[in-house]
Formats: sequence, structure tokens, C-alpha cells
Amino acid sequence: MRKTIRRITAIAAAAVTATLVMTGCTADGGGGGATGSPDSGELNFVYMGDADQQKAFNALFAEFNKEYPDIKLKAVGIPSGNWATFSTTVATRLAGGQKIDIIQVATEGQRLFASKGILEDLAPYMEQDQDVVDDYFSDINPNLVKFNEEFASGPDGETVFIPGGFNTMAMYVNKNVFEAAGVPLPENGDWTWDEFVAAGKQIKEKTGAYLTGAGPSYFGDVMPWLTTNGASTFNADWSEPTYNTAAAVEAAEFARSLVEMGLAPEPGGQFDGNTAFKQGKLATLNGGRWPVLGVRDLDMVDDTVVVNWPTNTGHGSPVGWDAWNITKNSQNKQAAWTFIKFLMSKEAGEYFASIGGTIVPARESVASSAAFTDNAPEGTVRLSEAMSWATPIPSIDQGAEAQKAIEEAWGTIIAGQGDAQETLDAAQAKLESLVGE
Amino acid sequence: MSDNASVRRPGALLQRRRTEAAGWLFVSPAVLLFLIFVAGPFVFAIVLAFLKWDLLTSPEFAGLANFERLFTDPLLPRVLLNTFVFAFASIVTHLVFGLLLALAVNQVVSRVLGYFARVAIFFPFLISWAAVALLWKYVLDPTFGYVSQYAAMIGIDLPNFFTDPAWAMPAIIFIDLWHTLGFTFIIMLAGLQTVPAELIEAARTDGATSGQIFWNVTLPLMSPTMFFATIITFIGAFQIFDPIQIITKGGPQDATTTIIMYLYEKGFQAFDMGYAAAVAILVFVIIMGVTILQFVGRRKWVYES
Repeated sequence: MRKTIRRITAIAAAAVTATLVMTGCTADGGGGGATGSPDSGELNFVYMGDADQQKAFNALFAEFNKEYPDIKLKAVGIPSGNWATFSTTVATRLAGGQKIDIIQVATEGQRLFASKGILEDLAPYMEQDQDVVDDYFSDINPNLVKFNEEFASGPDGETVFIPGGFNTMAMYVNKNVFEAAGVPLPENGDWTWDEFVAAGKQIKEKTGAYLTGAGPSYFGDVMPWLTTNGASTFNADWSEPTYNTAAAVEAAEFARSLVEMGLAPEPGGQFDGNTAFKQGKLATLNGGRWPVLGVRDLDMVDDTVVVNWPTNTGHGSPVGWDAWNITKNSQNKQAAWTFIKFLMSKEAGEYFASIGGTIVPARESVASSAAFTDNAPEGTVRLSEAMSWATPIPSIDQGAEAQKAIEEAWGTIIAGQGDAQETLDAAQAKLESLVGE
Repeated sequence: MSDNASVRRPGALLQRRRTEAAGWLFVSPAVLLFLIFVAGPFVFAIVLAFLKWDLLTSPEFAGLANFERLFTDPLLPRVLLNTFVFAFASIVTHLVFGLLLALAVNQVVSRVLGYFARVAIFFPFLISWAAVALLWKYVLDPTFGYVSQYAAMIGIDLPNFFTDPAWAMPAIIFIDLWHTLGFTFIIMLAGLQTVPAELIEAARTDGATSGQIFWNVTLPLMSPTMFFATIITFIGAFQIFDPIQIITKGGPQDATTTIIMYLYEKGFQAFDMGYAAAVAILVFVIIMGVTILQFVGRRKWVYES
């Protein structure tokens, strides 16, 4: 009996050890990955994409493989609801010992990944293909280059990310609803908060449609209202939260007033915005490039126009951008760089835009080309123009927790469950504690 | 006697060893799965609770710091209270409504109607939590949901269930009840059908009323089933996560943050794996403690023939 117990214990110990080894205890890069060949090898590329977006990504990958058939690209799309969750999922996979060569990270996760020392310094690769890099950087908005340097550099200031496409926020206006209510479309795509409310009241009265949706999404609701009132959740270098300033409180109260006036549906449930848009029950859809897929599916491209977010103190929008890196653990760094070069190319940008990519192409020449504007609502180019006044979405290392605190507070206010100043004061305190960690 | 005889027989020892080996081989898949998915992670969680680890960099030894935090964390008492409220409400509602439904269905004379009722009541349990959560988010939408629309038609102004801190937890309790009641119902129905008909007949012959039969015959004989249902409902309720993550994400104002939700936030959002592991151990200790208490307390109310 004692022998049996001893045997079971030995088996259990072996199994536990094996489990720990299999799961891996750390994803610490530590460097040392092989360089490999630029034309062959196996690459694991992780990106955020749901079922809709994956179709476009798969087509892009097939295009890459036409040129580089010996690079076996294993692309894994993670259908996370937001970038904070995506970053968490990728971190968990790395911790689980999964080999990843390139991670497509958005702003929300860039500083976190950059700060952990798990990404390769890209300078040597950029030097070896300086002409390609120069061509790319000369064609993208200078703000994007600046933001990438300020917010996504490695611990010692090294370049660990190449910036890719981005998203800003705008409104997709249902021309039919505006026409039925006798409301003119915003001239040159610009309107103020007051004009927005006036339009909403007339639309409500004449058609019964809601003007806009009201939600607590950090990127999609909170930041647009804050930035168009000269506020933000954090200061310029994200070192201090600024979520309870007078301007932020005013923005939150304004968002609540839209619900109180009946111009936006009560938050707290779920409804199909696209269907309501098609049925003429909703006058605007809010978003970056991504609503275009829905607008196409609804066959409403010609009935929609993209306009800027309404302003109070001046133009504003958050911006978040994709960026590509090479992990220190990669066994095929040269092949990874080949793939990044492909993603930087004009051809890839145009191809991705034309097949349904849900980002604004980084290259301005592509963003203003037919590849991006064809089969898209009038005014789509405003998404690209918004980069000139956009604020990078503040994303501290404790991004998911910060996002929760921000959205929770905003949701409380727009649902009428808390005073704006008091609620934002409490959220500010929470954010301060996170920054201090 | 036979054992000794078999040992003395030539080759008997070898035969016994073979039989033993065959036994181990038969159970080995289950044992292996248990070691990999239960015992291994359990040991790993204990080790993790003594570390400071953010998933991306190397872990550091933290001693008892993570356990000390359990006593100073200002949010933890609220989270535990939410969890116990949910678990208590879940046990009461599941047992009461599960038993009532089982009694009602047990009375149905028509076989077809009986089968239909069983399937209909059990059916929601087969739907995934993700689908159920989204379904109720649509149904209870304050503007477009049909519940609020019908209520408005008859002049009732319903609260905003998922944004009002006073209503969010009751709404989650209700949705959980709708989704999982079928399971408790089936258990209760099975228990009810094991109550010997002759005892009920005898009580009736002795002149007992339906109420007396229920309280003095049916209920005591059902108590082992109810005890089982209480234990599994508590364990399940204490680990509630999916509907909260999908519907309220722990809000509004932490009104629906339960302990597993909190564990998830600490581990996979705050990248504080050590503390998350300490919380996981706390969950284990609480569930084990409550289950032991339930077993101790069963002598007072569970009838065992």
C-alpha cells in the first residue's frame, strides 16, 4: 500500500513538473532568438480581428505568400472586444510559452509591451532597408511618426514599433433621416455641439429617430466628447490623470443631456445600431473606419456621409494606431522583417484598404486614393484628416484597469446614476492610484 | 483465506500484478487529465500565490505579501458580500422554484404534456451563457427591449436594470435563475420520483391532507436531494462569472463584481498573477469551508433512512 502511495506521489510530482514546464513560467524575452533567412521560415503573427475582419486579413496574407511562398505565415486573429483585452490575451499566450514572432499591437498596448523589454530593437533592420523605411515614413502623417516615438519606444528610447494604420472618430450621418427632418448636413463636415443638439431635436420631432447612441466606450464615446471640449483622461505624457477637470465634467454632462433630451436612447442594454440606422430610427453611427463594413452590408454607402465629431472648443478626436514589432524570442527575425516591409508597402496598404480593412491606411497616398474612398461614404477622407487634430488615446501600463475605471464612471453619468463631478472625482482618484503603482 | 491461498499458488502474484496494472491502465486517462487540469494547476496556483508576476517578466518571490493584501484590500469585502448575496439568493430561488416546478410537473397526468414541460423547463440550461447574456441584454434594453416597451404600454416605468446599482444584482440573479433552474428542476423531479408511492398512499389512507403529506412525507424524503442541490448550487453560484462579464462587467459601481470576476480582473487585467492566485486560494478555502459546514449541518435537516 505504502509503495502504491509512493508511486502515485511520484507520478503526480512528475505530472505537475511537466505541466509547469509545458505552460512555461515566464515570457521574458531575454533575447537570443535566431535571425534566420529573410525569404523563408515559419512566422507566427498575432493580430486583433473578428470573423469579419479576418476575411480581409486572410486575403492580405495570401497576397504576401504570392511574393514569399517559402515564408509560412501562421496568422492568429484574436477576436477581442477591445485592445486592452487583446493585450491581455497576447500577454497570457506569451506567458503560456506560445511562440510569437510579430504582434500587431494598438496604442492601448504599445507602451505596456515596449516597457517589458520583450521586443527587438528595430534600428538594425531599418538601417538595412533605409530606402524602404524612408519611403514609408515620408508618406505617413508626421503626427503618427511623432506619437509612435513619444508613446511606443522601448525602455532606452529604441524603436520597437513600426506604426501602421490608425483610427480616429467621426460620425456616419444617415442622409435620409436628415432629409426627412429637413435638417441640412453639416457644412464642410463641421458642426458645433449646439448645432448637433438643434439637429437632433428637429429630427426627433419630425421623424422620431434618435440622433446618436450613448455609451461608455473609452475610444468611441468618452474620448470624442472630451477632446472636442479640450479635455482628455490624462495629460499630454500620460503621467497624470485629468479626468475630473471642468472641461471633462462639462463634456460628461453634455453626453448625459443627450439622453435626458431623448436624443440618445437610455444606455444599459443592447440594441442593433446598424438595423436602427437602416430603418431610419437612428440618425448617426459613431466610429472610425470600421462602420463602413456595416454600411456596405446595409447597402447604404450612397445614403451616408462621414462628418467630423461635433465640437465645443475645437476639433477633437482620439487616435489609436496599429504597430508592428519583432519579439526577441523570434527564431526568424529576418523573415519577420520581410513581412513588416510588406505591410509597409503601398501595394499592401492599397490591397488591404480595397478588400475591407477596418483601419485608415497609414500612407496618406493610400488614404486619399480610390482604394480607400471607393465603395465608402462621401467624406471618408475626413477620418484621415482628423489625424492632424487627434489626441493619442491615453493608455497607461495598467490599461485595462484604467479603461474600466473611465468607462464605469462615464456609464454612471450618462445613465443618470451619479453626479458628473463627484463620479469623475472618484474615477480620478482611482486613475491616480493606478499611475502611482 | 482465499487471499492466502491465491498467494501460495504459483503465478498468482504475477496474475494479481497484471490485474492491478490493467486497473491502473483503465483509470490512467482520467488520472492524467486530473493531474494536468486539476492537480497541476492547483499546485501551480499555490506556488503562484507566493510570487509577484506580471506574465511578461520573470516572477519574483513575494513571501506572504499576496496573502497579507487579502486583509487590506478595500474592495474585497464588497466583492465577497456581492458573491455571498448572489449565492444565497441563488440557492433559495433555485430550491424553491425548482421544487415547485417539479411538484407541478409531477402532477401532470398527460405523458406528452409532462415530457413537453420537462424539455421546456430544461431547455434554457442547454444554451450557452454568452447567448443567454446577450439575449437578456436585448430583452431588458431600457429603450428597445420588449420588456420595457410592454411595461410602458401598461403604464409601468421599469428601472434601468443594468445601470442602476440597486437593480443590477437582482437582474443578474433573475437571469441566472432563468438559465440554470432547469438543472435544479430535473434533480428535484428525479428526487420526487424516488419518494415511495406506498408511503403517500398510506398517509392518505390515514386521513392526512395534501399539505400534511407534503410537509411530513414528501419533503423529508426529498431532503437528501435538496441537500445535494444546495451544495452544487452554492459551488456553482460562488463561481459565477460569464453573465457578469458579458452584461455588466462588474458594474455599475462594483454592484455586481463577484469574487471570480475580481480574480479575473486582478490576474488578467491588472497582470497581478500572484494576488489573483491568493484570491483563488481564498475562493477554494471558502467553498471548502461552506461545504464542510453544510455537511455538518445536514444532520439537523436531512432525513436519511
